[in-house]
Amino acid sequence: MQQQEIRQFLKRFFDATQCKTVQDDGNAFTVQLTVDMDKALMNRPFYWHYIEKTRGTPNPQKITFLTDFSNSNESKGEKIHFGSPRLHQIFQLTKKLGGFIRMFEDRPGTVQNHTPLIPWLCMNIKVSYICDRKKDEFHSIGLNLINGKMLDNFHYLLKDTSMPLSMKMPDFAFTFTPLIKPVSGIKRIEQYIRSQLQQEDHTWAMEAKKRWERDEKLLNIFFEEWEEKPEQYEIEKEALREQYEPKISVDCINGGIFYLTKDRFR
Amino acid sequence: MEVRIDFHQTWQNAFLQRLERDGPWSNWEIYQLALEAEQHTFVSDFDNLQSLKFLPELKPLPHQLEAVKQVIENMNGKAILADEVGLGKTIEAGLILKEYMIRGLVKKVLILVPASLISQWVLELNKKFYIPAVPYKKSWGWKDQDIIVSSLDTAKRSPHAEMILEQNYDFIIIDEAHKLKNAQTKNYQFVQRLKKKFCLLLTATPIQNKVEEIFHLVSLLKPGHLGSSSNFLKKYKGSHRKEIDDGLKDLIRKVMVRQSRRETNIQWTKRHVETVIINFTPKEREFYEMIIKFPKKEAIFDNAFSLLTLKREACSSKEAVFFTLKNMLKKQNPPSPALVDFTNQLIKKMEGITVNSKAEKALDLIRKIDDKVIIFTEYRATQLYLQWFFQKHGIRSVPFRGGFKRGKKDWMKELFQTSAQVFISTEAGGEGINLQFCNHMINFDLPWNPMKLEQRIGRIHRLGQQKDVFIYNFAVKNTVEEQILKLLYEKINLFERVIGELDEILTKLNVGTLHEHLTDIFATSESEGEMKIKMDNFTSVIELAQSLKGDELDAATGNSSIS
Repeated sequence: MQQQEIRQFLKRFFDATQCKTVQDDGNAFTVQLTVDMDKALMNRPFYWHYIEKTRGTPNPQKITFLTDFSNSNESKGEKIHFGSPRLHQIFQLTKKLGGFIRMFEDRPGTVQNHTPLIPWLCMNIKVSYICDRKKDEFHSIGLNLINGKMLDNFHYLLKDTSMPLSMKMPDFAFTFTPLIKPVSGIKRIEQYIRSQLQQEDHTWAMEAKKRWERDEKLLNIFFEEWEEKPEQYEIEKEALREQYEPKISVDCINGGIFYLTKDRFR
Repeated sequence: MEVRIDFHQTWQNAFLQRLERDGPWSNWEIYQLALEAEQHTFVSDFDNLQSLKFLPELKPLPHQLEAVKQVIENMNGKAILADEVGLGKTIEAGLILKEYMIRGLVKKVLILVPASLISQWVLELNKKFYIPAVPYKKSWGWKDQDIIVSSLDTAKRSPHAEMILEQNYDFIIIDEAHKLKNAQTKNYQFVQRLKKKFCLLLTATPIQNKVEEIFHLVSLLKPGHLGSSSNFLKKYKGSHRKEIDDGLKDLIRKVMVRQSRRETNIQWTKRHVETVIINFTPKEREFYEMIIKFPKKEAIFDNAFSLLTLKREACSSKEAVFFTLKNMLKKQNPPSPALVDFTNQLIKKMEGITVNSKAEKALDLIRKIDDKVIIFTEYRATQLYLQWFFQKHGIRSVPFRGGFKRGKKDWMKELFQTSAQVFISTEAGGEGINLQFCNHMINFDLPWNPMKLEQRIGRIHRLGQQKDVFIYNFAVKNTVEEQILKLLYEKINLFERVIGELDEILTKLNVGTLHEHLTDIFATSESEGEMKIKMDNFTSVIELAQSLKGDELDAATGNSSIS
């Protein structure tokens, strides 16, 4: 993540959380936190407890982020870069705040002609391939909860088609009740991911298993003279399993329901 | 092949709840940002280092990156990092740890280092790597913190040991791992019982003498890699490291990264070495002669070694001699009349000595340098004396010893950096502290073990040292010290070259290690004469080695007429 991207990310984050930028000179910018953001980011529970108990006037803090520190060593703000704990704290917070969504395609109908909106379930999924190494892959699946149609890359489809989205149902519109219940929808998406994963090339896992077996063979040689294996043997064996055992871990990052007009993604 | 798939249900359950309660829902922008945040921290590839983009201010050197890649890609995260002193093993270890943490493969970490290095490790991990390591503290025990730095001495003791063994560590780092060469020790047995998913053993000296040492070290890391212990010992027991055959070398290379200063192509700041020869005052000379002339057959000492020790101490300070004599008297119960007599004579002579010529010289030099200076001495009594002596002359100094508690060590280092001119350290203090903000070192007395000397110099001549380094070796004329100096530091040219290099030459010539030769010369010689003959022999071997170079040297190995 480049410094410019980080800057963009932070600016968008604070806009979206209603924290005003009070100063910005290109290298550094200062935001005035809201009460909620102060509580979430500044780690001062005692202060907030005190203010609430005494009904004092809350005075949320400002933060200055230094995003370009290549040629300035001024200590006017927090240096922020891809490794800085602050950025990762904000990442965490963003994920916490941005986990669940319900949106409507903003296409108001008319009195005579109400817009029907079809529910889609979207799940953005992280698949992690884990052994003694690891890599992650991203999947975004959309499922039409009326006809069961499934689309890959759903998140990007939503973004690409310049469709206005709104948190509120537009005027003169109505939503279809899902024929596929969300809970079954989730199961369908899981099943789909599972079958995809099973068809994949698992060379990485086989190689990990080879490494595992090789080390386990050595371990057996080391302990070959023991009639009864000591506790040490079991500990080492378990450690090897934890180190090498190939597995795939699947987590949903975020997702939700999108009510879209009928012709979308036909 | 069937691979286990774990489908986590956290989001799913929470989502269904929200549907029921009709919210709360996040807004579109935050939702998109959440996805982006997650994707930014994705690991896109099994290989390739991810950690560097998290550490824009860290500028690792090529040899450090190479080591990190090797450990992760070829050694699966279990390795002995055995670079020579001062090449940045800590940086390598930090990068490897960071890499595994970023990949989400490591959460719980135990880092065992010498007590004097705890704060430094914590600081480096926090500041350079943004790894939230903490020093062990009673109040949080072993369970509540994920990344703890402690000393092996603390960790192996009850009740810590029991609690540590209950934890499930993902990653273990052990610094100065040469302390684990002997499988019979408590240290070793404790470390052996730790579960090691990923593990780094750091040492600059993976083998000092015996081949078994490397067997034990490797077996901690990867039991069986060098076979079973009985098979290995059958083949190699008692062997010296020169006898390591190519097969074994290959195996070791699979679990060990060892880079020498020479291979790294780093432009090191220069080492300037100056020998400072000191003349005893007549009184000091008399005192020294008295020790030398003491008839051997009186046998009041356990061995020749004690007498040698006394001689070397006499070159350092009379206080050092006094201290040793006092201990000897205490040990012999009741002390032999000969020893009592000898001691009394020496003490009488001592009383007549009013100056320490070396200390005077040190004072001159320190004033001339007019900058921070580290003084190393082997003897604690000398250390105390020097502190007193400098204070008398208005120079602020701080003492440093291996035995200090962690906090005190940090405090002493801090004091030296901020407000004292001189740092007086004993040998044991040499191992665990980095003082690259200082570039002058006085070796007040010289150890004959060159590893110790390399450790000493390594405190200031390491990565991060910006200036040339000045080493002043003190030796008193016409004493055992001058002999040591001549051999080690003039004939073998030890200061210019690095020990590994010299050992390489010796190995190629098949004539034992430097350490073995020096032990033989200085510790087991019965007389000065014998010492001198052995030294001359050894010097000629070295000189021969120096005259042969590269291929010629290999050729010479073919006809091993040299011994």
